[in-house]
Amino acid sequence: MTDSKSPSFFAENWEIGPIFRALLRNKVGAMLIALQIAFTMTIVVNAIYIIVERSDKMQRPSGIDEANSFYISSVGFSHDFNSLVTTQEDLNLIRSLDGVIDAVQINAVPLSGSGWSMSLQTQPGTEFDGTGTAVYMIDEHGLNSLDVALVAGENFSPTDIQTRQSSQTHWPDKVIITLAMANRLFPDEGLAALGKTVYINDIEPMIITGIVDQLQAPWVGWDNVENVMLTPEIRDAKSSRYFVRTKPGQRDRVMNEVESQLAKSNSGRILRDMRSVEGTRLRAYRDNSAMISILVTVMTILVIVTGLGIVGLASFSVNQRKKQIGTRRALGASQLSIVRYFMLENFLISSAGVVIGAALTIVLNIVLVDAFSLDPIAWYYIPLGMVALWLVGQLAVFGPARKAANIAPALATRSV
Amino acid sequence: MFNYYIKLAFNSFKRNPILTGLMITAIALGIGASMTTITVNYLMSADPIPEKSSQLFHVQVDSWDPNHGFNDEPNTPPNQLTWTDATNLMSAKKAFRQTAMAKSGAIIQPSSPDINPFEASIRLAFKDFFPMFNVPFKYGNGWDQQADDDRQLVVVLSKEINDKVFAGENSVGNSIVIFGQSFRVIGVLDAWQPLPKFYDVNNGAFDEPEDLFMPFYLKQELELPNWGNTNCWKTPEGEGFTAFLQSECINFQMWVELKTPQDKQAYMSFLNNYVNDQKELGRFPRPLNNQLLNVMQWMDDQDVVADDAQIMMWLSFMFLVVCLLNTIGLQLAKFSAKSGEIGLRRAVGATKRDLFMQYTVETGAVGFAGGLFGLVLALLGLIGIRQLYGEVLNDLASLDLTMIALALVLSLLASICAGLYPTWRACNIAPASQLKSQ
Amino acid sequence: MLTMKDIKKIYRTDSIETHALRDFNLHVNEGDFVAVTGPSGSGKTTFLNIAGLLETFEEGRFELDGVDISHQNDAARSRLRNQKIGFVFQSFNLIPDLNLFDNVDVPLRYRGFSRQERKKRIEHNLEMVGLGNRMKHLPAQLSGGQQQRVAIARALAGEPRFLLADEPTGNLDSSMAQSVMALLKDINANGTTIIMVTHDAGLATQANRNIHVSDGKVSEKAMSLSPEAAQFKPSQHKRVVGLSE
Repeated sequence: MTDSKSPSFFAENWEIGPIFRALLRNKVGAMLIALQIAFTMTIVVNAIYIIVERSDKMQRPSGIDEANSFYISSVGFSHDFNSLVTTQEDLNLIRSLDGVIDAVQINAVPLSGSGWSMSLQTQPGTEFDGTGTAVYMIDEHGLNSLDVALVAGENFSPTDIQTRQSSQTHWPDKVIITLAMANRLFPDEGLAALGKTVYINDIEPMIITGIVDQLQAPWVGWDNVENVMLTPEIRDAKSSRYFVRTKPGQRDRVMNEVESQLAKSNSGRILRDMRSVEGTRLRAYRDNSAMISILVTVMTILVIVTGLGIVGLASFSVNQRKKQIGTRRALGASQLSIVRYFMLENFLISSAGVVIGAALTIVLNIVLVDAFSLDPIAWYYIPLGMVALWLVGQLAVFGPARKAANIAPALATRSV
Repeated sequence: MFNYYIKLAFNSFKRNPILTGLMITAIALGIGASMTTITVNYLMSADPIPEKSSQLFHVQVDSWDPNHGFNDEPNTPPNQLTWTDATNLMSAKKAFRQTAMAKSGAIIQPSSPDINPFEASIRLAFKDFFPMFNVPFKYGNGWDQQADDDRQLVVVLSKEINDKVFAGENSVGNSIVIFGQSFRVIGVLDAWQPLPKFYDVNNGAFDEPEDLFMPFYLKQELELPNWGNTNCWKTPEGEGFTAFLQSECINFQMWVELKTPQDKQAYMSFLNNYVNDQKELGRFPRPLNNQLLNVMQWMDDQDVVADDAQIMMWLSFMFLVVCLLNTIGLQLAKFSAKSGEIGLRRAVGATKRDLFMQYTVETGAVGFAGGLFGLVLALLGLIGIRQLYGEVLNDLASLDLTMIALALVLSLLASICAGLYPTWRACNIAPASQLKSQ
Repeated sequence: MLTMKDIKKIYRTDSIETHALRDFNLHVNEGDFVAVTGPSGSGKTTFLNIAGLLETFEEGRFELDGVDISHQNDAARSRLRNQKIGFVFQSFNLIPDLNLFDNVDVPLRYRGFSRQERKKRIEHNLEMVGLGNRMKHLPAQLSGGQQQRVAIARALAGEPRFLLADEPTGNLDSSMAQSVMALLKDINANGTTIIMVTHDAGLATQANRNIHVSDGKVSEKAMSLSPEAAQFKPSQHKRVVGLSE
């Protein structure tokens, strides 16, 4: 008879049938591992999905020069406190400091979580619906301070700037909006929205005199976070916030200087809430980044637990089957065949696990979509998860399988 | 006999240290993860005022836009009140106790030159606020009806502010300059932090209570600024502070204390009558849709427990399931290796019950060890969560005795359940079967 | 067929060196039925392990069917075991989770036979040992004698040139032992060379050659090789076996 050099490489001789039948003799043990893999896959795939969703959200740009910007609030309290004069003095002082590119008084800051919103509509009248938008009130230094670029129209001129009293309800007649907002108000028209009239407070007209490329509203969790309008106003209020953009690398120095100079310049007010935009971003996305950290931790530990479980059970079963392995070796199994036997056995169990896991993953995702209004999972997460869990199983079983392959064939002749 | 089983259990651990270690670690990780998330959820969903949470009701009337509900689906009334409705309902005095509220803020100018002026948050409320919410006082008391009616410049300080401005001394009777006005201190609170901060969840359900408490009408009298969420469906008619107060903008909350279901019913019909009367005046263009929710219903309605916390809890329960499956598998393996010993014990007269006890003690001991270890992990987990979420969750991440007991019971139960099947299998080994073929 | 020359085998532990075999010499001809006897610790199991390529040795020369074993790596020795040697163990060594069919299948899988070829051989050999109707049974459902016959079927399924038997009747009562012996003699009569380790002098006399191992060395007891036996060629799957339980 003739024997090929490595006959055992043919799939036909990979013992899938006998391994499967032997597994059926120990259904519970195999099922336990399969279920463990299934649940692990369910958690891991859904967790990764949530992580990707959250980190995508965190990747969105705010539109401002985050690395080099900060803001500070001033609240006047003395009886003779003059808000408008103080604001102008403060801005002049800040703008004159070395390292400052520009500064502006602003009512709210992107990423900060608090701000104003209004509704704009394209036709006047209470019967028409509006589009919600965040409002930033700025003067002619605003665009430069925020580092947003006009893609159409022009910046506000100093003569456009109006004084806004607290509790004032009427609005200036000029407005700059984001491109996203322009597309919401005038679908498919984009830059052509320039020069058109929109209505605020149902009937007050405003002319779009500029469109900027991108700027986020203060609320990162808001569905319409790209809807922003900028109005040419300076607020006459005891509480005033300044937004400052510095030259690269100078932010921290400028922050200290602004704080101390403003404190010196007027004792009838307090300064508070000085924050870098970077710090504000961290706060804005803290829940998201915390969730990501927790999910990553849980996933890692879970995969380790499952992996160690497989290692433990496989080592145990190798120990239990020492005699059998020795016999197989005596009957002509190469070390490779023994490794392959345990890898295949694990592969069969894992296969059951990942199939159940795929179903459970979808079920859990449906529950999450239902109860917590997450988006449904993208289909390709499922096969990726299956492959990943297969790999985890194979990696975990490799050590014990190697150990099994090193069992001496002579064990077969040793009496118990 | 129990001691004997404990001894056997320890022998077994010594013989299989790696398997036993894996089991204890698996249970500990599962319990640790579950306890961490259960604790956060438990504290988030805790009843902040258990002694009367079912008698305190949050008042909502639907004063919103005729074309759009405050929420589209479900069609719930606005979560706050207008100034007009808050003051009207207060004047009617139809409940056992009632308080409208608003959040504001102002600069405090301490008389001592050593302390710089600083900004403080203000809760504007009525006199019933303190008895309604069982607010603890360290010095003095809240104000009376007279102070509410006469818009007196009186203030109750939080413990922190009293510590800061008056060095923790009894400051009742002292004066303090707030918003440029001289106020008289009439009370100082003791440490008070309801979790969640149920009386105003719109503005941060887990925020600290305010620094200062003063009569509600001072909002109008001093034109105190609006803090917290302000929502308008209609632009105020006219400019200025008075126009805002008369507008349909909502910035005010109201709670009533109603002792019995009949009282609640009566108050509800009062609300409905009130809204109908207002409709006559041309307000309230929407269909009648008023709501009285008690504390826990209101917490539920406002989704006080964060989605993320719930997602984490359910994921960690699944995590625990994985750990238990792991434990069952390992236990099964461990017991299957002992079939010889079991056969021998059966042969020398151990009943199934004896064996069942022996192995249940063994699995229970694994569970207990896992539970203790898990508690340590839960503590670490909570420290981790506190670090990740910062001050927001500071008070929501601590273990109390209930949680510790729950952790131990949960881990014992979980491990004994995980051991049931392996134990059952082990006990059903026939006495003779294992003696022969060895 | 099998030649061992000056084989030396030493077992080492931390402090002790045991010379299991020293200057072990043996030549076995094709068609021999060799019984190896010797007291416990004499080295007869070591001899069997080396002869079966289950263990390596320190010194000497070992040729099996014309192949020099000394320089073969583990994979090559595995392949030689699979192709040339059949094993029968004292405690049968059947795999408890596999039915009889799958047990006999084990070496054939490593051999790389096609599915039809394996099936033919498994069925043929199980029928030959009288268990053709119990192929789906598990080992635990059989008596000891039946189990050993399954093991013999497994050893023969690959048509090895050598059959190594390690106390094949050690775990059997005397009537079962006799029937297993009869089967082995039958197999030998059909041309398979058999080396059988036993401590039972009575059984040893049924072989046509007896060697005695003591202190790691061979001392031939009797020389009963009949010249005719060497004339046998391996048959072509035609074994007539009439065994009773």
